[in-house]
Amino acid sequence: MLEKIKEIIVNYVEVNPDEITAESRFIEDLGLNSYDFMCMLGDLETELDIAVEEAEVVKLQTVGDAIAYIETLKS
Amino acid sequence: MKELNVNGAVMKCYPLCAAQKLHNYTIRFCPAQVLCIGTGLYVQQEVDFGMLKRAIYKAYEMFETMRLRFIEDENGEVYQYITPFEERDIPLCDFSDRDEEEAHNEMRKWTALPFARYNSPMNQVIMIKLPNGYNGIYLKVDHMTMDSSSIIGFNRAVLETYCSMKYGTEMPKPMKSYIKQLEKDLAYEAGSDAKKRDEEFWKNEIAKDEPMYTDFSGQGRLLTQRRENNNPNQRWAMVISRSPEASISVYSLEHEASMRLMKFCEFYHVPMASLLLMGLRTVLSKFNDDEKDVSVKTCIARRGTLSEKYSGGTRVHFFPLRTIMEEDMTFLDGVRMIQAEQSRIFRHANYDPIEYMAKRRERFPTQAGASYESISLTYQPLTVDSNTKEMPDIPYKSMWYTNGVAGQPLYLTVMHRPEDNGLNFNFEYRKDVVTEHEMQYFYYYLCRVLFRGIEDETRTIGEILEMI
Repeated sequence: MLEKIKEIIVNYVEVNPDEITAESRFIEDLGLNSYDFMCMLGDLETELDIAVEEAEVVKLQTVGDAIAYIETLKS
Repeated sequence: MKELNVNGAVMKCYPLCAAQKLHNYTIRFCPAQVLCIGTGLYVQQEVDFGMLKRAIYKAYEMFETMRLRFIEDENGEVYQYITPFEERDIPLCDFSDRDEEEAHNEMRKWTALPFARYNSPMNQVIMIKLPNGYNGIYLKVDHMTMDSSSIIGFNRAVLETYCSMKYGTEMPKPMKSYIKQLEKDLAYEAGSDAKKRDEEFWKNEIAKDEPMYTDFSGQGRLLTQRRENNNPNQRWAMVISRSPEASISVYSLEHEASMRLMKFCEFYHVPMASLLLMGLRTVLSKFNDDEKDVSVKTCIARRGTLSEKYSGGTRVHFFPLRTIMEEDMTFLDGVRMIQAEQSRIFRHANYDPIEYMAKRRERFPTQAGASYESISLTYQPLTVDSNTKEMPDIPYKSMWYTNGVAGQPLYLTVMHRPEDNGLNFNFEYRKDVVTEHEMQYFYYYLCRVLFRGIEDETRTIGEILEMI
C-alpha cells in the first residue's frame, strides 16, 4: 500500500519517493495542499476501488494514517 | 481538435476548456477589458535591462500559454492554438523622474485596454523604471490564457532566468506541456465517467433547498428587490448592475497579525482559505440579521498534479460554498465544517461552472444576472519570490492593476506579500454598488471576526457576533 501511495504522491509534488515513509505528514513534510490531497485521494479511490468519506479524510495527517484508513475500508 | 488556416498556415486548433468558456461568457455582458490582468513586479536594485530582456524572451519560450492565441471558425466557435516562438518587442518605459502614483496610474490605463480577440498576441510585457530605484516588469495578460498562478509562475521564471544569467545560478525548471494538459481536460469534458460522477454530485447539491442571498452591505438590496418583485420570500438578488466600472482597494494586514492567522492554521491543521471563508461568512451573517445560511463563491485553482501546476493556462473554476451554522457552533468547528465542505467540492471542481449555473437556474428560476452569492473569494498562496535566494533582502514591490471593470459586485483576493509574507486583501468592487468607505468597513469587521475567533477558538459564532 505504501508503494501505491508513493506512486500517486509523486504525481502531485516534487519529492523523492524514497523519502516518503509512513510517518511523512502530507502537508508539513510532503508539501501537499488540501486540493492536492483530495485529488490524490480521488486517484486512490479509482486505483483501489474504494470510496472515502470527506469528513473522515480531512483528519488524516500522515501517510500511515491514510494506509490505516484505507485498510479499514477494504476490510 | 481541428485544423484551421491561420494567416496562410494550417494550425492545430483546440476548443476552449470550461474555465476559458466562463471568461468568454463574461465578455458577452461586460467590456472585453474585464479579462485584462495587469501586474507589476519591481526590485529595488540596479537592473541590466538588456539581460532582463533576454530573460523575458527565454521565459516566453518556456511558457506555451504566453504564445496562446484564439481564432473563430466558420461557425463562430472560438478555438485556440500556440504560435511558434517569436521575439516581440519588449520596450523599456522610464518613470524614474515621475511621481510613483502617476506611474502606477499610467499602468492602470494600459491594463484597461483590451487585446484584439483573434489571431493576435494575448499578453504584453514592458520593462519599467520606477522612482526610488525600483526596476522590473509590467505584465498584462488576457485571463483566457492565464490565471494568477500562471502569472506568478511567469514572473518567477523571468526572475530566476535573470538571476541565472547574472549570478550563474540554476535556470528555472522546464514547464509541462499546456496542450497535453488541455487534451486531458477536454477528454474529461467529452462525457467521461469522471464528469458523469461530478454531474451527479452537483445535481444532488442543487436538489437541496434554496440558498439565501447575503449581501456585503446588508439586507437593503434583497429587501428592495423583494418589494419590487412583490415577493416577500425571495431568496436571490440581482447582482448585475448597469455600470461595470470597478476599482481596487488593497488593505495590508501587518506581518505579525498575518503570522498569527497562519500559526492558527498550522496548529489546527486547517487551510487558510477555510479560515478566511469562516471570517467572510460570519461578517455576511452579521450584516444580514445574523442569517445562518450563507453562501460565498470560492475560487478553485485546480492545480493538483505537477502537470496542472506547471503547464500555465487558465484553470480557475468558481463554485458556491454554502454553510448553515447555528449560533452555538464554535469558531473552530465552523472552520472545520468549511474545510470538510471545501474538500467535498474539490473532488468535483472539474465540472463546468456554466453548466452548474444553468442547472441551478432550472431548479430555482430567477432573473438573468441573479445570484445567491455577493462575494467571490480567491486565496492565492503563491508568491513570486520563491527560489530567488540569490536576491536576498532586496525590497520587492508587486502590484495588481485594475482593468477598470468587473463582472461581479465584489471579488476579494487574499495574497501573500513577496516582501514579508504578510497578507494583502485586494477588494475589487463595482463602484455603483459599493464605496471605498464600505469596503474599509467590511475589511474592519472581517479582521474583527478573524481575530476574535483565533484568540479563543472555543468562542461560539453567537458570542463573536455579539462582540463585534
